[in-house]
Amino acid sequence: MMHAKHLKYAALLIVTGLCASTAQAVKPATNRDTLMEGRRIYEQACAWCHGIGGEGDGPAGWFIGRYTSPRPRNFVNDGYKLRSTASGELPTDQNLFRVITQGIPGVMPAYRSLNERERWQVIAYLKSWNSAFEEETPAPLTFPSAPPGPTEAGIQHGRHLYVKLDCRVCHGDNGEGDGPEATAGHLRDADNLRIRATNLTDPSAWKNGASSHDLLRTLMTGLDGTPMPSYANEFDGQEEALWDLVWYIQSLSGQQGR
Amino acid sequence: MSRPSAAAAIAPLVMTVFALVSGTYAVSVPSAEAIPAFARKYTMNCAVCHTAPPRLNTFGERFLENGYQLPGTEDGGITAKKHLGDLSLDDFANHTGGRLRGNMLRSHNFKRQSPPAAEAGTVHNNSELGFPEIFSLFTAGSLTKNIGFFTELESNMEESSTGIERAFVTFNNLGGTNVANIRIGRMDPSATFSFSTLRQQLELVGESMNTSTDTVQRAGLFPLAASAKFYGLRNRSGTAISPYAPSLYNAVAETGIEVRGRPFGDWFMYQVGMLNGANETFGDSNKGKDFYGAVRFDYARSANFSASLSAFAYLGNSNATVLTGAGQADVNWHRYGMAAHVRYKMFDLYGMYTLDRIAHVPTAALANFDTSASGLSVACDRPYAPLTAIRQHGYRRGSQPAHVPKLRRGSDQTIRAVQCGPVCSKRLQPPTSRRRQCSGP
Ligand code: HEC
Ligand code: HEC
Repeated sequence: MMHAKHLKYAALLIVTGLCASTAQAVKPATNRDTLMEGRRIYEQACAWCHGIGGEGDGPAGWFIGRYTSPRPRNFVNDGYKLRSTASGELPTDQNLFRVITQGIPGVMPAYRSLNERERWQVIAYLKSWNSAFEEETPAPLTFPSAPPGPTEAGIQHGRHLYVKLDCRVCHGDNGEGDGPEATAGHLRDADNLRIRATNLTDPSAWKNGASSHDLLRTLMTGLDGTPMPSYANEFDGQEEALWDLVWYIQSLSGQQGR
Repeated sequence: MSRPSAAAAIAPLVMTVFALVSGTYAVSVPSAEAIPAFARKYTMNCAVCHTAPPRLNTFGERFLENGYQLPGTEDGGITAKKHLGDLSLDDFANHTGGRLRGNMLRSHNFKRQSPPAAEAGTVHNNSELGFPEIFSLFTAGSLTKNIGFFTELESNMEESSTGIERAFVTFNNLGGTNVANIRIGRMDPSATFSFSTLRQQLELVGESMNTSTDTVQRAGLFPLAASAKFYGLRNRSGTAISPYAPSLYNAVAETGIEVRGRPFGDWFMYQVGMLNGANETFGDSNKGKDFYGAVRFDYARSANFSASLSAFAYLGNSNATVLTGAGQADVNWHRYGMAAHVRYKMFDLYGMYTLDRIAHVPTAALANFDTSASGLSVACDRPYAPLTAIRQHGYRRGSQPAHVPKLRRGSDQTIRAVQCGPVCSKRLQPPTSRRRQCSGP
């Protein structure tokens, strides 16, 4: 049983590695041709939701959450949720590439059907709406490497942190997304739309990925534009402690160690 | 327009009990009619494609046009990749969906005349608790890149019939992106029209007709512009065609082939097709084929707004018959129509006007028969969470027995309907174990 699991993780790692390495290989230079191609792809594939001018106002955009979060991202003005950079920063190109490749469960399809070159072209195009991308090159945070684990004591400590950091106020005592702030309907996103606190027992719905590295990234960066904060400052200098929280969250769905 | 004397002469055709619909209100709470399989396959909420299932929003329309592939891509066979020898129950579930249709509660209100012209008509009010009448099983999706398929098996409890409702294969993006998409099989020609017969309707409350006496007992809750309109038309086997039945370009299913595309960009679509016609499930008994062509203009470049305008011509070829006194004679039944839709945020307004003409009516039958009829349907829907309310108005004008009183000047028949459908936003997830991760910093 244990054996099969390990194999699966090994396979996963290989897939992860492959994605990361090939992704870089075909990235075209940002020039006029790239932008023109990016625009063509964007208008055929993305504008339905994100709008022809990138303002998140495509003809199908309102249907997605109806009157709840999320609206499609506004590439002209909005910040980004799914980053490896500090809260408030722009995402890296790799972050954008990941979103387009993986999609966002429930609201945005995965675009593996665009080849990698096309994905890079469309990224170049959507970045062109926000001049901040020209002024700075976003840099990822440094993430602490994973200690051997998970250990029973680590998970216990993670539970302690979960309570101490008030995660339960939003995510609920057992992580089911039913904390008092959430059930009272107090949570709002940057568009002032009602937003649900994620159910931490169902990893398939997570936007930022479900591996332990993904979770650690979520905790350190926060999801900008939502009530989900970044915990990088709380753990400044002792980021390793966050791994215990990661193990604990994974224990809620019985998926430790991925 | 029909002349009273002439109409009286078609007595054998005339409905003896006629339900004059002054208002048919159906409050239906059908189960969601989205195809859950697609939502599962792409891990998306139904609301990404649907306004109120089965009604499609602009993204859903383009997904359908692209042969069940994401608009702007050719993703068949990439998403939820399948290899021979690796088929599992999940894979099957990713392609299959079921739906129950029917009114849990419906309320009719119509005037009934029996026998025709003999009385002023009595008002019937009727509320019934029902059971879902129709169970459909779908399998749909893409077999591989640019080859899609759709089959719908339907079991209709009211009509106690089971069979293939629709089944077709699509070949997409031939000759370049969206240059030509082919559809072959038993299909609904108006699927991509601005006012799609099936997809703009929450629930088709069928008409009720006594085929042995040619009597319409209940008018169907169906866009009148898309309906057959004529009284006294028969199909080739001699059975009377209900004036409320979907037909021609607006048929629920006809067998044939069509080509469709947007070769110059999203703003313009063409469609040409050829059908067996004549409302036949299998086989093709008539000598000719029916042809149709349509164009559609789209605009989807402003904030939260999309609109379209379409027009079609459908040319029938001995696709119906009339009684001449001496027997049955073939006629050519044509239809021309226009439709438009405007969608802003989640408010949806659309309408359709059609004009039907019957050519080659034998002189013997001509006196009894109008050779043209028209119909207009306008509808709008507006979501009130968690329901979407749909209002529909329509009138039908044309060939009609004289004893049927006019409802108001210029409109022979009016149907008003309000339907409510559930808003579907349930998140459907694929089995976690089948997700492939591709994460990086
Ligand atoms: C069906 C609608 C839909 C389509 C089509 C779509 N998106 Fe999105 N996209 C969304 C929604 C909704 C969000 C916001 C999700 C959230 O905030 O949780 C989003 C967010 C994003 C983000 C921001 C992620 C972040 O970190 O904040 C990017 C980048 C993005 N989309 C790119 C694209 C590209 C490129 C395409 C076309 C290839 C595309 N999208 C097509 C609905 C869509
Ligand atoms: C103020 C409320 C709030 C607090 C406190 C909070 N969260 Fe969240 N969290 C949210 C919301 C809202 C979302 C959903 C964001 C979205 O869907 O875009 C979320 C999302 C998440 C996600 C899912 C990210 C993904 O990939 O989709 C994880 C994991 C998570 N939170 C963990 C935690 C942990 C652990 C803590 C405590 C250290 C915590 N949250 C504290 C509101 C909160």
